[in-house]
Amino acid sequence: MPDFSPTQYAVPLFVVAILIEMVWSRVRAPEAYEPGDTLVSLAFGLGSTVSGALFGGLSIAVVTAAYQYRIFDFGDQWWLVWWAWPLAFVLDDLKYYWVHRAGHRIRWMWAAHVNHHSSQHYNLSTALRQTWTGSFTFGLLFALPLVLLGFHPAMIGIVGGFNLIYQFWIHTEAIDKMPRWFEAIMNTPSHHRVHHATNPRYLDRNYAGVFIVWDKMFGTFQPERHDETIRYGIVKQLGSFNLLWAVFHEWIGMLGDIWRAPWKHKLSYLLREPGWTHDGSRDTSDTIRARWRRRLDQADIHGHQPVANQNPIAPPQEAA
Amino acid sequence: MLLQFGGSLLAILALAGLAVLLKLGGQPILQTEGDVARAAGEVEDGFVPKRTSIARAGNAALARDASGRIMIVKQHGSKFAGRILSGESSAKEEVDALILDIGEARFGTVRLSLSDASYWADAINRL
Repeated sequence: MPDFSPTQYAVPLFVVAILIEMVWSRVRAPEAYEPGDTLVSLAFGLGSTVSGALFGGLSIAVVTAAYQYRIFDFGDQWWLVWWAWPLAFVLDDLKYYWVHRAGHRIRWMWAAHVNHHSSQHYNLSTALRQTWTGSFTFGLLFALPLVLLGFHPAMIGIVGGFNLIYQFWIHTEAIDKMPRWFEAIMNTPSHHRVHHATNPRYLDRNYAGVFIVWDKMFGTFQPERHDETIRYGIVKQLGSFNLLWAVFHEWIGMLGDIWRAPWKHKLSYLLREPGWTHDGSRDTSDTIRARWRRRLDQADIHGHQPVANQNPIAPPQEAA
Repeated sequence: MLLQFGGSLLAILALAGLAVLLKLGGQPILQTEGDVARAAGEVEDGFVPKRTSIARAGNAALARDASGRIMIVKQHGSKFAGRILSGESSAKEEVDALILDIGEARFGTVRLSLSDASYWADAINRL
């Protein structure tokens, strides 16, 4: 069995790319980086490797056990079945789309994923804001169909590593648009900027990892518009560079909500979308978008636009 | 493993240090009611201030909308962050300034040098 972790080899490239982007930032956009934010983002990256080493064992045990029940068998030397690699890469990316979508639409999953979004900046260091608490969610279950199909857990790990490496370079404002054919198929800086935006139009859009086609297939694609300035981060910005708060704030908020909620609503605070409350006292991405649309419709009727955000009306899309 | 961790830690400190050396970031200033309206609209889409007070340093502002909601906007690195204030918020006046505690420890207390601090202290403490 090949013992290979592509992300380990990519780390020096990550560092060099961040250095280059910082120099670009100095010349073109100094506000693209913020030292405190960069330190938090990079500390997330380092901490996630420690967390993976500490808690990843259970995940490996589960997928290894599941592999015993595989439907197809690629043989003892499964790594020599060349066509299984690109197939695994594509299917793993489809899996990524759904686990990522769940990461935004189920609060339990969001508690672990929010830290990738809590920076108000969008640069290559943001890509390294990886979770410390992913092992405490059920994200692993999304990989089980691949394992049961017969893809070896190590193969899934390796293609998943390449998937993660691909996603590094799209976290930048230094690249505007890629060639049209590339934008049509692949996830790009432009598509992923939309994903990191808090503008109502952009909330819960573009979940893709490598291939943007999944968003187009499943109704969550939103192209970037040049007439709308992107605001990065989360709906309720942290307002703090405290690393531990950034790691655990949503877990603390969610557990507090579950503790305080009436019994019949407790599970909903775990499994429903972020922002959901049993009394409707907070906003979800759906309510924010709906309010924004109403406001723009009214502004359109009265022939003017409100002061704060003069965003053109978005074409109606199915909520994610 | 420990060596790898130590090396990575040094690398991230070096990168963050480089960001300081290159003078990346910056501190945006709120100067006009339009600045506050834009920042407030980013905190909550659709929030339109009817009354605004900007701290003299331009690093924070208070805004009240037509429905009486009060928002604090403060400088956070090179961006702004803010909150709609709730009943958990409290404000006290100092000489020529307002000390605002929004009731959220990690957001921190915000000191605003304002000429109309008493108006805001009153309004916030009545929430």
